Amino acid sequence: MTAITGQKDEKRGQTARRRNTLMPSRLTIALFLLPAFLLYTIFMIYPLVQALIFSTFEFNGLVRGAFVGLQNFEQLFTRYPISEQLPRAFVHNVYFFIGTMLIQNTLGLLFAVLLHRPRFGKRFFRVVFTLPYLISPLVVGYLWSLMLNPLFGPVNATLRNLGLGSLARPWLGDPATALPVVILVNAWMWVGFPMLLFGAGLAGIEDDLREAARIDGASNWQIFRWIEFPLLTPVIGIVTVLTFIGNFNAFGIVWALGGVDGTPAGATDVLGLVFFRTAFRGGADAFGLASALAVLMFLFIFTVSVLVQTWFRRLESRMQ
Amino acid sequence: MQKKTRFTAVALLAIMLLVIMGSVVAQGDVTITVWSWRTEDEDAYNEIFAVYEAANPGVNVEFVPFVNTDYNNILATGLTGEGGPDVVQLRAYGSLQPLIEAGQLLPLDDLSTLENFTPAILKGSQGIQDGHIYGVPFGVQALGAFYNVGMFEELGVSEPETWEDFIAILDAAAAAGYIPLANPAKDSWMLPILHDAVAAPRYGGPEFEAAVLAGETNFNDPNYVASIAVLQDLQPYLPPDVVGVAYNDARTLFITGLSPIFIGGSFEIGFWQSEAPDMEVGMFMVPPPPDSLAGSFVPSWMDGSYGVNALTDSPEASLALVEWMGTQEFGQLFTDKIHQISPAAGVVSSDPLLAEFAAGMTENPASYLLLVNFRYGDPSGTTVLGNELQRMFLGEVTPEEVAAALQTGMEQWFVPANAE
Repeated sequence: MTAITGQKDEKRGQTARRRNTLMPSRLTIALFLLPAFLLYTIFMIYPLVQALIFSTFEFNGLVRGAFVGLQNFEQLFTRYPISEQLPRAFVHNVYFFIGTMLIQNTLGLLFAVLLHRPRFGKRFFRVVFTLPYLISPLVVGYLWSLMLNPLFGPVNATLRNLGLGSLARPWLGDPATALPVVILVNAWMWVGFPMLLFGAGLAGIEDDLREAARIDGASNWQIFRWIEFPLLTPVIGIVTVLTFIGNFNAFGIVWALGGVDGTPAGATDVLGLVFFRTAFRGGADAFGLASALAVLMFLFIFTVSVLVQTWFRRLESRMQ
Repeated sequence: MQKKTRFTAVALLAIMLLVIMGSVVAQGDVTITVWSWRTEDEDAYNEIFAVYEAANPGVNVEFVPFVNTDYNNILATGLTGEGGPDVVQLRAYGSLQPLIEAGQLLPLDDLSTLENFTPAILKGSQGIQDGHIYGVPFGVQALGAFYNVGMFEELGVSEPETWEDFIAILDAAAAAGYIPLANPAKDSWMLPILHDAVAAPRYGGPEFEAAVLAGETNFNDPNYVASIAVLQDLQPYLPPDVVGVAYNDARTLFITGLSPIFIGGSFEIGFWQSEAPDMEVGMFMVPPPPDSLAGSFVPSWMDGSYGVNALTDSPEASLALVEWMGTQEFGQLFTDKIHQISPAAGVVSSDPLLAEFAAGMTENPASYLLLVNFRYGDPSGTTVLGNELQRMFLGEVTPEEVAAALQTGMEQWFVPANAE
């Protein structure tokens, strides 16, 4: 996935030399890029541009009406109740991102470090931790909503049987616990992903560095803190950006756990749900409004992703 | 390259053959394509249309159902060009308006069988702007309380006549260790249903409807606020942590005998019959709560209608079919085979529970207020009330605030008749 920079200068020189002699012509490169470029243009760029155009028109069902400029964007912030739902959903997305960074990605890093040191059962645990993300988010959400069901769910039943009945609560029906539960379930599902990326990053760090540190008397923690962690910066950057994009586009799992309205009382409402409701359950002019929201979401995610990536690049180069 | 040319040639030939075959069929017979969102009713509709085909030689009716959730989009595309349907199943009230405003449906005002329906029912297929009728109604749904007859016997209670009776039943069920009312609050769409089925008498039903549509009052009306407070009074009888209880959990509570009463729509009857065939289910109208402005109602709404695509190749045959779908004959076939209430005059349901809903609807009529009148804009009345009632059950807002939020939401697009 990522080349760990900074240690393999010798090897890099070799590959660069080889690349020069085997360099294909520009035309060949262009031909090879063409299919992907065409697909990307037709299925990614074209719909994006389309959405941008749609967002400036009035709609009546699927029939396009007059050009209205930025009116759809204005409506997003002035028309009740979307004007209240949008900021609330945005804040929830921010919580979702912070919570995921703290819980999912920290645990992912921890698991990667634990599984890096060669030990019995390494492959087994790697498979176990990555299994949940092979299941559809809708299925994961549905399974967990069954487990957390306040009437028939095994989670509360177990708590009661253990004499911890006072801890039993309607996990997804209480606004105080609903969003944290969504974050936890999402982390349960995805924790294997940062674990694999961090694992690959750790494997890319030369063992010489660790050995040298150990000879100097560094503890395991010191090796992690001062050698492995800084060298993982590029991976942390990628994990952060991917988490950010994933969380701000979250839909399936939130929908399965909290329904289309983000129950209870909007406590699990996120931007993806607001978009879905606007586009498919809104009034006759839903298309323009939903397109405007899609454009805003894209611009926000794109800008922040680029900023975060630039920041991490700068951090990397400063360390070298 | 050569391969591609050959493929194109074959494809063109195939298309030509299809066109020729199509026109040969068209010379002899007329095929009317009917689009619908009821995949589960395909066999029943084929049987119903077989009756029509037998009476009208030369007419073939082809029933083409699509997945319910994708239907609106499929229909919106299908009505814009070639290859679309002739006759279409249409949603009711607000959801129908975009198709009407886009001019994609033929007005049906001249069909003789429209006389079989009341104006209240026809409102569901009426253009809100132009007042024309664009669909022949096929079904209605109504609200009421279902009860488990066996559990009522065990508790020694019978159908309630007064609010005190009703509360006494709930208390008896609670004392016996049951959850008195099975209703959910996690699925917010069930909450306006509960509200109208229980509290419509408190705000006055049709009289309030007329006043609010005319602009003489609005949802901040003290009587409407009080009707919301009725639900707050009922909360102790709902499942614990009700906002965490989903629609299917609630239906499970009812069919597994953990709860004697489920308040909902006539569309549940099929579910009770298929999932709990041995359970005897009865129906009653919830008696009027204290200080009610009217007696009990069976709030109802039109479920949908059949209309004609403006671009159809055979308008006459399509109109004839849709006209027949307004007859008592079709209505009877519909209710017998699809087990839902037909709004056509003279139709009698053979299912006792369905018949009870149908009778209640005729004797104590009311509109399911927010669905019938407040889905013509965004946000819809049912969505706002559902979300706000959820917050009320969580203790976040008062009935006054629920009503105020509903009013704010409706003001975004609703203009009362006597405004300006």
